[in-house]
Amino acid sequence: MERQEQKSPETLHAVEIDYQHVDVSRIMEQVKKAAAERPPAPSRSETPQNDVTAGQAGGAASGPGGGGPPAGFKEKIKGKVLKLMAPFFPVIRLFALPLHEELNLTNKNLHETNRRIDFLYQRLEDLDQSMEYIKLLHNLSHNIVVELTKLSIEHDGLKTKARILQKDLEFLEKREKTLEKHVVK
Amino acid sequence: MKIAFVVQRYGLEINGGAELHCRWVAEHMQKYGPVEVLTSRAFDYITWRDHYPEGEEVVNGIPVRRFSVARPRNPEKFGRIQNHILNDEHAEKDELAWLEEEGPTSPSLIRFIQKHERDYDFFIFFSYRYYHSYWGIHTVPHKSILVPTAEHDPVIHLKLFRDLFRKPRAFVYNSEEERRMIQTLSQNQDITGLVVGVGTELPPAASAERFRQAYGIPGPYMIYIGRIDENKGCHKLFEYFLWFKEDVGTPLKLVLVGKSVLKIPNHPDIHHLGYLPEQDKFDALSGAELLVMPSFYESLSMVTLEAWAMGKPVLANAKCEVLKGQCLRSNGGLYYENYGEFREALRLLLASPPLSRAMGANGRKYYFENYTWEIIEQKYLTILNRLGAKP
Repeated sequence: MERQEQKSPETLHAVEIDYQHVDVSRIMEQVKKAAAERPPAPSRSETPQNDVTAGQAGGAASGPGGGGPPAGFKEKIKGKVLKLMAPFFPVIRLFALPLHEELNLTNKNLHETNRRIDFLYQRLEDLDQSMEYIKLLHNLSHNIVVELTKLSIEHDGLKTKARILQKDLEFLEKREKTLEKHVVK
Repeated sequence: MKIAFVVQRYGLEINGGAELHCRWVAEHMQKYGPVEVLTSRAFDYITWRDHYPEGEEVVNGIPVRRFSVARPRNPEKFGRIQNHILNDEHAEKDELAWLEEEGPTSPSLIRFIQKHERDYDFFIFFSYRYYHSYWGIHTVPHKSILVPTAEHDPVIHLKLFRDLFRKPRAFVYNSEEERRMIQTLSQNQDITGLVVGVGTELPPAASAERFRQAYGIPGPYMIYIGRIDENKGCHKLFEYFLWFKEDVGTPLKLVLVGKSVLKIPNHPDIHHLGYLPEQDKFDALSGAELLVMPSFYESLSMVTLEAWAMGKPVLANAKCEVLKGQCLRSNGGLYYENYGEFREALRLLLASPPLSRAMGANGRKYYFENYTWEIIEQKYLTILNRLGAKP
């Protein structure tokens, strides 16, 4: 296995790469590590948008490759403004760095989760209502079973009564025939 | 087997996104049986105003039926409704009102599908979020196949779509990430679904020299191809690129290819070339050190596949799960979540030509194993066979 060590010129972070079997996840671990170890340059953290607008303006004052700084009075004012703004730099940095982006993303995710929770609450209410219906249905079916059992018992009783009556009738018929014979004699 | 491809817009002039995806798939599938396209008359995707003549025409050998858009979109009203449904409590009727406004609202297209359902074996709908897919799938659910081309877009969480994703007979996904997202949202694991994606048309040869001479771009450059738009993360790309120049002091240039709807920084190392013909685009790609893809939302990114087909590594935005997943699966590109990672990854790719070449080769292998047209066509045929159609 051919293994080479690639050194990036400034940070001298050693990135181990197996060129025969490039593994992006492994390289990315090292890239992330290197990125975490080297903080972003301070000039950028002040106002990231400045870099872009500087480009738009043809690389004026604050751009990396821009022209010389404004001289004299303007320079003094700029210095004082920077000094006054110094306590706010951490806050500005917070909004300028990708942290702000991550906060926005987290905020968005939280919002989404909130919506899902609301939706689940709504579902929960529906489920509660369904549960009440199920209880009622259960009672109803129980009552139906009880009534059916009662009817079945009554049906059996009536059948027995009918059988007795049938037997009585048969006995009376036989008696009638016997009496008829006696009368005819 | 007769198939109808149903898509929001269709035409040779429309050269991006789901519409181009649909055209390419339709053109490649016509050799297996009759194919038709059902679409709106729209060209402009902001208003969907009627542009093409109504009725039938043939585009690259495929009959195309165009239907009028009943009501063009009012972007202001649409924005208002979208804000409401994304941020406030709302009812299902609000979501339906959003869909009406989203368009292209073409009831005549839906009526045609309803009336001629028996004339087609399957309807393949492209892009889940438009009127034609929602109502089309509701009209012929048992004959519909959906190519969602879904991204991590907030509207995908609408109840409307969770129900829609349980309706069609089958899905053609663009990526594993897209499949996972849709299945998580709608629990539609029981519906047939294959990760297919789309192939691309490669030129027989590409020449970096021809590009450099024609456009006057010497030295190393990285390239971005696509709409230059804030939605595509281009504003961040400009910031990071300029910071990178400041940090590293490299002669690297950024070449932008595509229509711009964003103000581009006036910097000597940023070159905006506008829309390029296909041959010039591939010439430009062949001369680039790498392709950069700053987009947050992509359902596949054809241009990434094209870069890999040309053997170029890719530097992608890790916040786009699809791009990150594609880089990890192919081992053909690096990705970044913030400027620090952008700087280190880009520096590594620039400082290590063997790594760049190895990643390009991996990307090319990945492309030829998964995204050639023969493979794509076979996957479509597999789905159709699975659903019971005879090819």
